[in-house]
Amino acid sequence: MQAKKRHTIAVIVVLLFGFALFYIGTDGFTAYTAETARVNKLMAEKPQFPNVTFEDSNKRQYSMDEFAGKYVLATFIYTSCTTVCIDLEMNMSEVYDLLPKQMIGKDIQFLSISFDPEKDDPETLDTYKTMFPNADGDQWRMTRIQDPNELKQLLDEFGVIVIPDEYGNYAHNSAFYLIDPEGTLIEVMDYTKIEEAAQKIVQIVGDEKGDSL
Amino acid sequence: MTQAGYGLALLLFLAIPPIAHLFESIMIIHMHMQMPLLVISGFFIATFFQKRYPGFFEKWNEDGIPGILLFSIVFSYWMIPRTMDEALTVPAVEVFKFISLPFLCGVPLRDSWFKISLFVKKIVFATFTLLFFALGVLYIKAPVQLCNNYLLIDQLTLGWGFLTMAICFMIFIVYYVFTEKEAT
Repeated sequence: MQAKKRHTIAVIVVLLFGFALFYIGTDGFTAYTAETARVNKLMAEKPQFPNVTFEDSNKRQYSMDEFAGKYVLATFIYTSCTTVCIDLEMNMSEVYDLLPKQMIGKDIQFLSISFDPEKDDPETLDTYKTMFPNADGDQWRMTRIQDPNELKQLLDEFGVIVIPDEYGNYAHNSAFYLIDPEGTLIEVMDYTKIEEAAQKIVQIVGDEKGDSL
Repeated sequence: MTQAGYGLALLLFLAIPPIAHLFESIMIIHMHMQMPLLVISGFFIATFFQKRYPGFFEKWNEDGIPGILLFSIVFSYWMIPRTMDEALTVPAVEVFKFISLPFLCGVPLRDSWFKISLFVKKIVFATFTLLFFALGVLYIKAPVQLCNNYLLIDQLTLGWGFLTMAICFMIFIVYYVFTEKEAT
């Protein structure tokens, strides 16, 4: 074989390998971060909301059955968080404002779930709730999941990664999670794109329930 | 012990689970120490393959271009935020890291660097300088956490690490340009 030909073949093989490597590694050039990959995977798998017991800021205890027949928009937070959780909840509040009034409470339930049940007892949740006027404790509830196994199962199923840092804070990935009335996770939305999220919710919930803006 | 032996010893040392875990627990050490050390181990191990299969390198990497391309591609692959995350959460990716960095980066780098022309060396060097600048800015400026397994502060540290490397590369380039002019 000629040297030049071999050279060309070697270069092509390397380039093909590189292409395949990047293609596989990024799910066909769609996911360059693990977070994108996680969201893509969740949307494909559409996991079922596990059976957990919530305790809310009014000390009421219930499971997801409490919200039967409604869509649920959920976020994962901890109240001593000073950074992203506040943005997350503020943005959730803006989504709340953007939705048609008749939809809230009837067709869609707002739910904040704390993953720090030790610190976030009902009293703390109640105080935290006052920061967000839309969080009335009914149509938007602040809850914790006391049972560590149940909490872990939920975080695992929904791909929420929580890493404690050395200052008693947690780093965690954030998103809006939309769960349909059957308890299936149907959308994971970017929490920084408020209008996009609101539109999507109106579209999904409105289609189902026959409401319009 | 031969050079290849030292390389292999380094690779095995890095692969000891507690050692690997220690390196991976800090983001910047994961990317700027463990990964380069893996490449270096391959760089040493390369002598074994060069002696054992001289024909292969002679035939398929005659001018060093395929090898340096392979090095660049695989090394860039490990700069993607996701690959670092998955090395921690997906065991197969972790294994691939320990194989690809020594054998698909270190070995071809050793074989190619002394074959490629000065012009190609300059291109490779400039590309990685630019890439490091870009990654530094990406890791520092990214409004979101790029890696789920590391804290935001680690990400900032890594970003500055990349920028520092890029600045060092730049200093070298400036030094090189000036000394080269003097020599001619």
